[in-house]
Amino acid sequence: MTVIARRLAGHLARGFVMILVVATISFFIVNNIPGDPVAARYEKLVEGGMSPEAAMQATKVMYGFLPSGSMGEQYVDYMSGLLRFDLGVSVTRPGTPVLDVLTDAAKWTVLPVLLGTLLSFLVGVILGVYAAIKRTGKLGDALAISGSLLHGIPQYVLAMLLVVIFATLIPILPHDGPVDILFEPGFNAGYLGSLAEHAVLPVATYALSAYGGWILAMKSSVVTVLGDDFILAAELRGMKRSIIFRYIARNAILPLFTILALSLGLLLGGAVFIEKIFNYPGLGLLLIDSITLRDYALMGGAFLLITVSVIVANIVADLFYTVIDPRVRSGEEAS
Amino acid sequence: MKRLAAVVALLGLATATACSSTDNKPAGGGSASGGLFTTIDVNRPGIDASAPANPYNPKGNAFPGYTTMKIGWVVNHLTDPNKALPGMAASWEIEPDNSAITLKLQPNAKWSDGKPVTAEDVKLSIALAYTQGSTAFAVTPGAAGAAAEVTVVDDKTIKITQDPANPSPKFARGVLDTTVLPSHVWSSAVPATIWDTIKTARGDGPEAEKAREEITALGQKVIAFAPPKDVAGGPFVLERVNPGEALLVKNKHFFNAANVAPSQVKFLNYTGNEQIWNYLTQGKLDHSGFVAAPTDVMNRIKAAPGSEVIKGYSPVAVSMAFNQSKKPYDNVHVRRGLAYLIDREQVTKVASPEGGTPATTTSGIHQKAAAAWIPDTLPKLEPYKADLAKAEEEFKTAGLTKKDGKWTLADGTPWKVSMHAPAGFSDWLSAQENIKSQLIKAGIDAEVVTTADYPVYLEELAAGKYDVGFWLIALGPAPYDIFQRLYGASNGWANVGGKIKHSPAGKSGNWMGSPEEIEVDGAKINPGELTAKLNSVGPDEAKPIMSQLAMAANQDLPVIQLWDYINNQFVNNSRFTGWPHDDEVLRLGTGVLPSGVWIQQGLVKAKQ
Repeated sequence: MTVIARRLAGHLARGFVMILVVATISFFIVNNIPGDPVAARYEKLVEGGMSPEAAMQATKVMYGFLPSGSMGEQYVDYMSGLLRFDLGVSVTRPGTPVLDVLTDAAKWTVLPVLLGTLLSFLVGVILGVYAAIKRTGKLGDALAISGSLLHGIPQYVLAMLLVVIFATLIPILPHDGPVDILFEPGFNAGYLGSLAEHAVLPVATYALSAYGGWILAMKSSVVTVLGDDFILAAELRGMKRSIIFRYIARNAILPLFTILALSLGLLLGGAVFIEKIFNYPGLGLLLIDSITLRDYALMGGAFLLITVSVIVANIVADLFYTVIDPRVRSGEEAS
Repeated sequence: MKRLAAVVALLGLATATACSSTDNKPAGGGSASGGLFTTIDVNRPGIDASAPANPYNPKGNAFPGYTTMKIGWVVNHLTDPNKALPGMAASWEIEPDNSAITLKLQPNAKWSDGKPVTAEDVKLSIALAYTQGSTAFAVTPGAAGAAAEVTVVDDKTIKITQDPANPSPKFARGVLDTTVLPSHVWSSAVPATIWDTIKTARGDGPEAEKAREEITALGQKVIAFAPPKDVAGGPFVLERVNPGEALLVKNKHFFNAANVAPSQVKFLNYTGNEQIWNYLTQGKLDHSGFVAAPTDVMNRIKAAPGSEVIKGYSPVAVSMAFNQSKKPYDNVHVRRGLAYLIDREQVTKVASPEGGTPATTTSGIHQKAAAAWIPDTLPKLEPYKADLAKAEEEFKTAGLTKKDGKWTLADGTPWKVSMHAPAGFSDWLSAQENIKSQLIKAGIDAEVVTTADYPVYLEELAAGKYDVGFWLIALGPAPYDIFQRLYGASNGWANVGGKIKHSPAGKSGNWMGSPEEIEVDGAKINPGELTAKLNSVGPDEAKPIMSQLAMAANQDLPVIQLWDYINNQFVNNSRFTGWPHDDEVLRLGTGVLPSGVWIQQGLVKAKQ
């Protein structure tokens, strides 16, 4: 436990510094993105029929929500706010703290991406083991080809393919939003059913697009382990195939856990194309929206959230590895 | 293999369970009397479930025409900017000299919580409008058409007078286009002393300046104000919102509830045009406002069962605008040469076959409005019909030379027409590609440069970085609004404290860089000053000014008018009928959802 605690303290300190560095970099990048959001809003109002004077005044009111002062002052404000978990106020959602907007969007990203990732991991890992063991047979070939194929198809192509099949040719699944508004929100079958129904295509897209990576990685890892001496020794000792299978799986899966932890860290980044195609209101869509409308506070907050989740996932992955792999733990203790 | 089989079985079961829920009938769905009306807000992509029911909030869950009401619904009239349909006001009387408007509220108007709509509600709404910026309710010094006094005559009558200092013929429009909100909900958004602050702000000196700052600060408070629940004055009230949809239910207290056909309205979310196209091709929407679509998509939309596209007048035109600070666009003969060279019919056919009609000439006004305002001037305008010989003649007059089939500048350097458009503006980009082909064919090198997005485009355009860009013009119906796109801030003329000042090219947002004075019909005119004058004169005085400005635009060509937009409204006759086909009501005031107004006026009927 001491080793883990020491590692954790080191990681947290490094993570904190990394977050500050990333926050600083993202602050300056976000605030230097070209484009005049106020002019764009003015134009939109005038094009919609508002008189130029009224549009000018309306945009002047909006100016109040943009940060004022020099870049240095804004940076100090931003960083001091950050220490209080205050990410500022959204320009496009006046009066709404950025943290609230991000939290609202995060739930629509986390659930489908988490489900899709875990589902693809589970299926990919199991089939990866089979693909490795049966690598000389037709089943192994078929599994490997399916992995390569799905891994090679871009997410947005896969998403559009599913829309065409299940929403246009055989219209049995919705592809427009997270839930049907006609259902009363709450713990009732209609609402939950609608939620699940709307999640099928996004989750399936996440799962199918990630599945290829898992099966190929697991197959490769298993093939490596199969050549290890301890497997040969186990076979020579006449151990049962199920026990040997467990030996193989437990050793081959170790590197995949690290990738899984990092994938979970990236899940807050969502999948922009998937969310856009399925009109799923998660963080990816929010990020696009904030960039289009130059909502600097929201943009910065979204970038920061994604970065923090990756840093945290890195830490968790490292600690998890320490826990599940005795070789790492004993190596640290020895040193 | 057993494990694999188990996993596959589980996946199958999960999918089957999920799919089976498509058979569930949503509670209160289309079976309710009158039925469910499905639409989108084309002005605002991205429904935000956390946004308040606040019409001033950019993401607010307020739906003008459906939940929120204006005093009147200003229509799309060719020449009369003050024409409107009754809204919260049943009728109004405008003084012949435009000095005042007296509003009579709907006698049976009630809010969705059952409380009556009174003149005090309108007065508070006017105070709120002052904080947001409004044509009639502005505290900006010298603002044209600003109100002077707001007087509650009785519970249902309110009189608003116009400040005689800088009167405007569209004063009534500014008043009528005001959102009416319930004072018992919104009074806490502004202090009780708001009218004193407004009065002070309309004056001069440091105190007035301070009061104006206070009002701007109040504007931010109003924008962020979140009513505890929606109290609507319109035919519907907000029931709930999720990030994908908003549900409105019928407001039983609405004064014309008996004639409101749908019992529920569902607003669908979208993030891009593609989603709207999908909704339309699937016949999901009962109504959608105009959205640009390529020909193949438009054909699919039209093929959807019950689909109909209603076409009408849209007071917008698109133009090819020149930065006259850059050579050779400072030379009017070059601009004229390009006007003769570009075949606008071909451009429109490629870029906006359904959404535009080729401009008959460059006048700065939409052809339909021009025919109504200045019919005698139109025949005098040079039509700039595609004519290669005339184009070459103009180029030669400008000193350009053609060597080996390529046009070069007067100093012998190569000439390349560099056109810019923002990414995502598919019709503009298609138009520029077509123009590029036409130019190259005529021996002029050309390129199309795509800018990342609209905010970047506007920033770089204003900074004078582009030689040629596209620019929306002719934004009617008010004459001043039409011509300020050509002779306003983008061309150097700005209203500073009620006086028109001209900035030289490249300064203060002047990216067009036209000369301050132009000779028209032998007389020198200042187009910016004339345009500003349009803000304060009546129709009879406006006509000769508009003629002069149209002629100035036609001969000086700060832009080449390419096509006039058509207002396409997409409707579906499967569930509802009775759609209006009248130009005037197909497009209403800023941000107004026309189908909400059609429904509340009793035009839309449930299909029997």
